[in-house]
Amino acid sequence: MAASKIQALWNHPAGPKTIHFWAPTFKWGISIANVADFSKPPEKISYPQQVAVTCTGLIWSRYSTVITPKNWNLFSVNVVMAGTGIYQLARKTRHDHFSEVQVPGKE
Amino acid sequence: MAMAVLRAFWNGPVGPKTTHFWGPVANGGFVVAAMADMKKPAETISGNMTTAMCLYSGALMRFAWMVQPRNYLLLACHASNEVVQLYQLSRWVNAQG
Repeated sequence: MAASKIQALWNHPAGPKTIHFWAPTFKWGISIANVADFSKPPEKISYPQQVAVTCTGLIWSRYSTVITPKNWNLFSVNVVMAGTGIYQLARKTRHDHFSEVQVPGKE
Repeated sequence: MAMAVLRAFWNGPVGPKTTHFWGPVANGGFVVAAMADMKKPAETISGNMTTAMCLYSGALMRFAWMVQPRNYLLLACHASNEVVQLYQLSRWVNAQG
């Protein structure tokens, strides 16, 4: 009985044998990579990359709710992605513009 | 004649009034960001993020091909991103020493 349920999932049209499963799965990799980078020094954060991560996350979050059928896996991965991007941007902005630390050689 | 082509695009099933257009455009931001980062020193590259991008764009190229309707704009964005992310990854690998 349990075996047939697993089989149903395995053979699902958006299941692990299809790209509709793996595309959002790999998108989680971007958020995981970003979370791993939370511990990196802010000097190494790239403004353009994090702006791209945030904007992609926000736009795709919106659109994953207007496509048919609604794809909540896609929605959740993009919400998290936008969240990690915003956090990284906040870290770098705080470091660059609001930090009390004196940077040697900087006027 | 040109107006007819533009109007067909504007009102088309994968045109700027649809999500099938803006999703890929948003993903094009990754390409623009990576091109800006190509000029920066290799020490600023994130190995985690670049690897994730390479896997992600590989998967999304396949997704763009298989999805209904087939989305060539998405395919083009991710093919470009794959190239530029692989280049950044090679820079990062070389900088590891």
